[in-house]
Amino acid sequence: MNAFDALGNPTRREILAELRRVPMPVGELALRFSVSRPAISRHLRVLQDAGLVKPEERGTQNVYAVRVQGFRAVREYVDSFWDVALSRLEELARR
Amino acid sequence: MIRKTVLLQCSPERAFSLFTEQAGQWWPADRRHTEDTASTIRIEASGRFFERASDGTEVELGVVRRFEPARRLVLDWYPGTGLANATKVEVSFEAVDGGTRVTVDHDAGAASHEMFTRNAPAYDRSWDAVLAALARQG
Repeated sequence: MNAFDALGNPTRREILAELRRVPMPVGELALRFSVSRPAISRHLRVLQDAGLVKPEERGTQNVYAVRVQGFRAVREYVDSFWDVALSRLEELARR
Repeated sequence: MIRKTVLLQCSPERAFSLFTEQAGQWWPADRRHTEDTASTIRIEASGRFFERASDGTEVELGVVRRFEPARRLVLDWYPGTGLANATKVEVSFEAVDGGTRVTVDHDAGAASHEMFTRNAPAYDRSWDAVLAALARQG
């Protein structure tokens, strides 16, 4: 799943908002949500696949943190769309 | 928010018509939503904003909220985030020396508002500010 699809889910956006404040392990994250821990794990997996969070080993558990580069990719996706689109529009106008 | 501008060597009327009636001509081929890389894409006064493949398949790309010929367009934009998390695109057309300045403001909704603006009201909507803030957090 790409970053846009991953961001299309409100629970995942809330997870990101929490992780943005402070990185934490899945168990601690689950305490802040009304959905089950397995559900949180699934959301984290989607966010990780989309490059928006990264797990860091701390002792025996993984602590999840927001991955800045992932958000940059979202921006670049939109940027590149308009860069291509507007340069083509410029050519069209000259014809 | 992402802002892009371009200077077109034509009148605002023509720029607007190229943008809306001939969107299929400028829309990047690798960002089509049908199998047809030469599909027709139209932004209409009726409110429809859609793509149509040569086999007749149609995909709604958004909704036209404002259609002011030669002046302004406001679109609910589905590509990338889907209908449930539409982003917003505003396009303005301004007559300047040498042609028409077209300015695109793309508010990358799902991520920028919901997640960042609401949760961190101190930040403005600029993605640069958001990213800088994130980068500082490490």
